[in-house]
Amino acid sequence: MSDLIQAVDSPQEIAGAAQRLRDVAQRKEITPQVILEIVDQWAAALDDRELREVPGMTFLRLWLRRGNLEPVVLRELGPNSLTGEWREDGRARLRAFPLGVVGHWPAGNIEIQPILSLTCALLGGNGCLVRVPSRLVQITRRVMEKLQEVDRDGLLTERVFMASFDHSRMDLHQAMAQAVDGAMIWGGGEAVLQVRGLPFPHWARVVVFGPRISAAAMDAESWGNRTERSSWCRRIARDVWQFDQQACSSPQTLFLERGTGCDPGEFVEDLRQVFQQENQQHPRQQIEPALTSAICLARASWLLNDEGNRALFPASPDWTILLGAGAEMPNPTQGRTLSVLVVDDLLKVIAKFDGTLQTLGLGIKDARKEEMLAQAAGRSGVDRIVKLGRMHVFSSPWDGTELIRPMVRLVRHVRSQD
Amino acid sequence: MSTLEEIEQGIESLLTRPPYGGDPQQRNSALLALLKKELAYACDRNPHFRNYVEQWPIDFCGADKIADLPYLPVGVFKANPPLALVSADDVKRTLTSSATTGQVPSRVVLDASTARRMAKGVITIIRDFIGPARRPYLVIDTPENLAAQPQLGARGAAIQALGSFATEVVCCLRLGQEGEPTLDLEKLLACAAKWKHVDVLVYGFTYVIWTHFVQPLQREGITLDISNVRVLHSGGWKRLDQQAVTREVFIHGVASVFGCSPDRVLDYYGMVENVGVIYPDCEHGNKHVPAFAEIIVRDPLTLAPVKAGQQGLIQVCSVLPTSFPGFLLLTEDLAEVIAYDECPCGRRGTSFRFAGRAPKAEVRGCGNLEARRSHQTQGSGVA
Repeated sequence: MSDLIQAVDSPQEIAGAAQRLRDVAQRKEITPQVILEIVDQWAAALDDRELREVPGMTFLRLWLRRGNLEPVVLRELGPNSLTGEWREDGRARLRAFPLGVVGHWPAGNIEIQPILSLTCALLGGNGCLVRVPSRLVQITRRVMEKLQEVDRDGLLTERVFMASFDHSRMDLHQAMAQAVDGAMIWGGGEAVLQVRGLPFPHWARVVVFGPRISAAAMDAESWGNRTERSSWCRRIARDVWQFDQQACSSPQTLFLERGTGCDPGEFVEDLRQVFQQENQQHPRQQIEPALTSAICLARASWLLNDEGNRALFPASPDWTILLGAGAEMPNPTQGRTLSVLVVDDLLKVIAKFDGTLQTLGLGIKDARKEEMLAQAAGRSGVDRIVKLGRMHVFSSPWDGTELIRPMVRLVRHVRSQD
Repeated sequence: MSTLEEIEQGIESLLTRPPYGGDPQQRNSALLALLKKELAYACDRNPHFRNYVEQWPIDFCGADKIADLPYLPVGVFKANPPLALVSADDVKRTLTSSATTGQVPSRVVLDASTARRMAKGVITIIRDFIGPARRPYLVIDTPENLAAQPQLGARGAAIQALGSFATEVVCCLRLGQEGEPTLDLEKLLACAAKWKHVDVLVYGFTYVIWTHFVQPLQREGITLDISNVRVLHSGGWKRLDQQAVTREVFIHGVASVFGCSPDRVLDYYGMVENVGVIYPDCEHGNKHVPAFAEIIVRDPLTLAPVKAGQQGLIQVCSVLPTSFPGFLLLTEDLAEVIAYDECPCGRRGTSFRFAGRAPKAEVRGCGNLEARRSHQTQGSGVA
């Protein structure tokens, strides 16, 4: 793979690339063990000063390590899967085989998403046809250069074709869809609907991740505890700051369960200080004017709608805390705009979730209460329930779906001699 | 004297000054003092607005720059009921913006005093560009948009605002059988013959002029031969941009059908929320701010005012409205500040150039829901 990301201009280029990927996948079998070995070296190579500032890079390095991915492969593909051997299943035996060529449509807002997506399909032994969003071309190229350095025999790089083309080129999206056996689609509502409607072959397996939103919740024992509060606030800030609050796992609203003697005003004052510190450490480098307008509108609408509402924000659009009451989640503004809503009962809030909520970040002191909340959240469509500060930790399952398993075929062999 | 009377006196004093004369610093001091009074008045009148102002990160009473005063984003005027500082009984007229299909229009309420000032503000500005004389007024629109109505759209408001320059008013479009605007060629040609040697004022929305006036006349190969026209147009370029009609093409098209020179065609920027203030291009292609208003262009990253030569989001400031809190409004439009004074045209104060509507955010991330499941369910119910 000489040019890591190719600017594609014709459907024929895509069809040709897919055919080459399919040939490689059929000709050269590769076991998860070999893939894990190369990916682990790739993780080490990414510890590069130039790449450290890329959002999510620290996480990607940890995620690509063998120690993290091997258990995922074993859990999703079963025992013996690392070496590509068959495993016994009663009177039959099972083995995972790749689908063939998997198309990837990552979202443009998460810098590391093309890599996360293609790694999942590679671990299944597939070839990967990746459409890299224009905003991510440079970053993705730098990350893939590191793979090229460690993958000297090209075992993985020959299984990847990265294409760059304008999102409006429907002919190229269609060519990609027609050429694949599986698809991993990530993104906002509009993008997902558009890609999902492409003419995939009838056998193609299509997995959609997103669009979703996320929220956080704390009981009074946690947010009201003055000694622990700043630690919780730092965790919240970390979740809000990553990916500029545009990821599906970014908390848009924090629900605080009311408690006697606990003052939400005091809590948001602490949160303000932590947000200020976080902003000093991770200032925004750029912003779209439309997002600035949306942030200003969110602040004004919040305060004009209800005299009882409060808001804390600087003169810049850097961050915003909107304090009020009620179990109804406001429409997300993103751009580090966190609604903090005081409620009487977290269970009543969770009962209102409608399946669009992906991750619920929790800060709950009482373990039994947390069990009840997790149970209720699962029933209400939430797919991930995690501790605050870990909302973006990409793990399997994601959006309620395994990451490798959907892109392989589990072949069942019942011996004819038996 | 009541606070409102004091404010009204201050506004009148600024309205009677030459709109583009005077030292900008002195102008700004006068504006700052008056805007502070208006903010305090608005806080007394509307507790919701007071809640917003009280939580602004800078105390406006101690502010020494207009840029530090609390401003509202124009989007808040899409709320229903509209944000007001007067009771419903005092509302004389509601202005609505020209929202494109599917969008919620902005609505601002005018009492008698604000409506009067709105007219006066526009007259003061236009007079500076075309002179005070009255003349025949050709409206490139249908008569329906001219009628006095309690709910007035942006087009109607703009047409009516120029009425005081008219000796007679002629609308050259009429509604066709299917309700579409059609050029009344017979009426237009009669006017052209009558007005050949007099000054004529023409106004229309930019896309209306192009679609329903210039294009039909060009198709017929007709030149009206009224060289003494002043053609004012506004309403934005979005629809013409979609048709790939550039400003150059537009101006030359208009000039060719009237038989006038291109400098007789004047584009101006304005919006219903910024009542009484419009920003025509000067002969150097710059827009200027009258004595009763100010423009602040803010860097989207910091919201701080930009330096000359830089682009940002436009904030319009005006002392004219007292019926709604439209003194300081952050728009969703972009502009470049050309200079903070000394435009070669001689007009003092900030000069700027409009740079279009801020584009919609391009990155549509995985956290970007167009619809919530519960909302979809509500929407699909059978009535």
